[in-house]
Amino acid sequence: MSAPRDNIVTRSLAQIGDCGLFLLQILAAIPRSLRHARETVRQLWFVGAMSLIIIMVCGLFVGMVLGLQLYDVLSIFGGTSATGTVVAIAIYRELGPVVTALLFAGRAGTSVTAEIGLMRATDQIAAMEMMAVDPIAYVAVPRFLAGVIAMPLLCCVFCALGIFGGHLVGVSWLGIDNGTFWSNMTATVDLVKDVLNGVLWKSVVFGGVVSLIAVFQGYTTPPTSEGVAYATTRTVVASSIAILALDFVLTAFLM
Amino acid sequence: MSQRPSYAVGTGLFIVLGFAALGYLATQTTSVANTSRGPSYTVEAHFANIGQLKERAPVKVAGVRIGQVQSIVLDPGKETADVKLAIDQRYDKIPTDSVATIFTSGLLGDQYVGIQYGSSAKPLANGGTLALTRPAQQLEEMLGKFFGAGGAADNLGGSYTVKARFTNVGALSAGAPVKMAGVAIGSVKSVLADPVKLDALVELSIDKKYAQIPDDSAAAVFTSGLIGTQYVAIQPGGSPDALKDGDELVLTQSALQLEDLIGKFLVSGSGDKKPDGAPASSSSSPAGKH
Repeated sequence: MSAPRDNIVTRSLAQIGDCGLFLLQILAAIPRSLRHARETVRQLWFVGAMSLIIIMVCGLFVGMVLGLQLYDVLSIFGGTSATGTVVAIAIYRELGPVVTALLFAGRAGTSVTAEIGLMRATDQIAAMEMMAVDPIAYVAVPRFLAGVIAMPLLCCVFCALGIFGGHLVGVSWLGIDNGTFWSNMTATVDLVKDVLNGVLWKSVVFGGVVSLIAVFQGYTTPPTSEGVAYATTRTVVASSIAILALDFVLTAFLM
Repeated sequence: MSQRPSYAVGTGLFIVLGFAALGYLATQTTSVANTSRGPSYTVEAHFANIGQLKERAPVKVAGVRIGQVQSIVLDPGKETADVKLAIDQRYDKIPTDSVATIFTSGLLGDQYVGIQYGSSAKPLANGGTLALTRPAQQLEEMLGKFFGAGGAADNLGGSYTVKARFTNVGALSAGAPVKMAGVAIGSVKSVLADPVKLDALVELSIDKKYAQIPDDSAAAVFTSGLIGTQYVAIQPGGSPDALKDGDELVLTQSALQLEDLIGKFLVSGSGDKKPDGAPASSSSSPAGKH
């Protein structure tokens, strides 16, 4: 941390290395943080339940715009009955996890970074160490765990609302037959390949990555107001890049 | 007991909502919705060709789903596929002499096993075998039959050969039918590029029965249907003299390229009709009034 890092490559590499070590510290502290289960529940409320509104509204609109676009394109080929299928597959495999993770980084990741950063800047973390309270177990782990648990749940809500939005546009507005919409979807969408691999695994990984980056940035921020501001920005930038890069890697593995 | 924090209920609701959404996605929008639970029994069927049939494909009677394909393996030592069908217990009155056929839903749809009831009074038991099966219809074969119906004229009376030159034969190949008035009268013997005249020299083998074709008739390369095979059509002329062996048809019309046709069609046909309620039509009308 103290060695002079002269260029962006070594700086980024050092950040990734520090982040990895921090992840190990968090994982090692999980058993110790079980005493602070209530804190984890409070964080789950904060990062999960409080993000529900934005996730639901965005999911609805993503599903609606997908229904609209796909209907338009598929009508060229006379295949509008496949709208439901394509909406479901697009949302389950890609849009659901990725958009939820991006929103989650913006909505919950930033506030976690800012909160921990301010704790650091106002010496609260140092005070915890003085009082023999492990700050990793009390501050970092509950927020990390809350992110890992909340992301898949938020993603499921996003996907359900997305399907509903696609149904709203496709069936209620554009007049695709209701039965065709659902039967084509259920005939094609697969439980393991789409829902389990797409919705669940991806969002668990994204939740872990976003929470790790948010907690790490807050924890290692320089204790100044400028430092907190930079850390918050870096959380969003690093999370977005990590989500999209990991999405490709995960898709390649889970396909 | 310590006081319950205010956020605990909300967090619990959030978790329940998340799992409810997951359950909805998993059971209502995936193929799980189609698989029937409950007891089933297994019957076997041996097919010569299963086409694209997959495991978990539906088994239907009169279009109604009664079970699914459990497993597909190649019969050891034989060139047939052993397909195991898991059929719901409540449909236990399937006659033993029923016929299992592999059908395709729609032109491009998935394949499924259809069972047509026989007349036997004895129902199939668990582990029984459907002895009567019909293999999957290959689309290629069907198209071949359909478009090439009567394609090969009976060659009993011998044939004679005439030549025709085309600037473009499209996908015409040897063996393609030669038709007059839609009736096959022979077949294409060979398609060769002429190295000197730089066009295609096609030899047509025409049945001797049809010896009265005027020698000023025209030959054209046509396509049967949109995606069908190509054939040579003879359009009779008015000359009193008939074609003889080795003659050449002077008037020819080359093949129309499907790409050209579709290109023309798409360019001229786009934008003249919109589906009702489409966004383009509804959003453009108020914009036009301003």
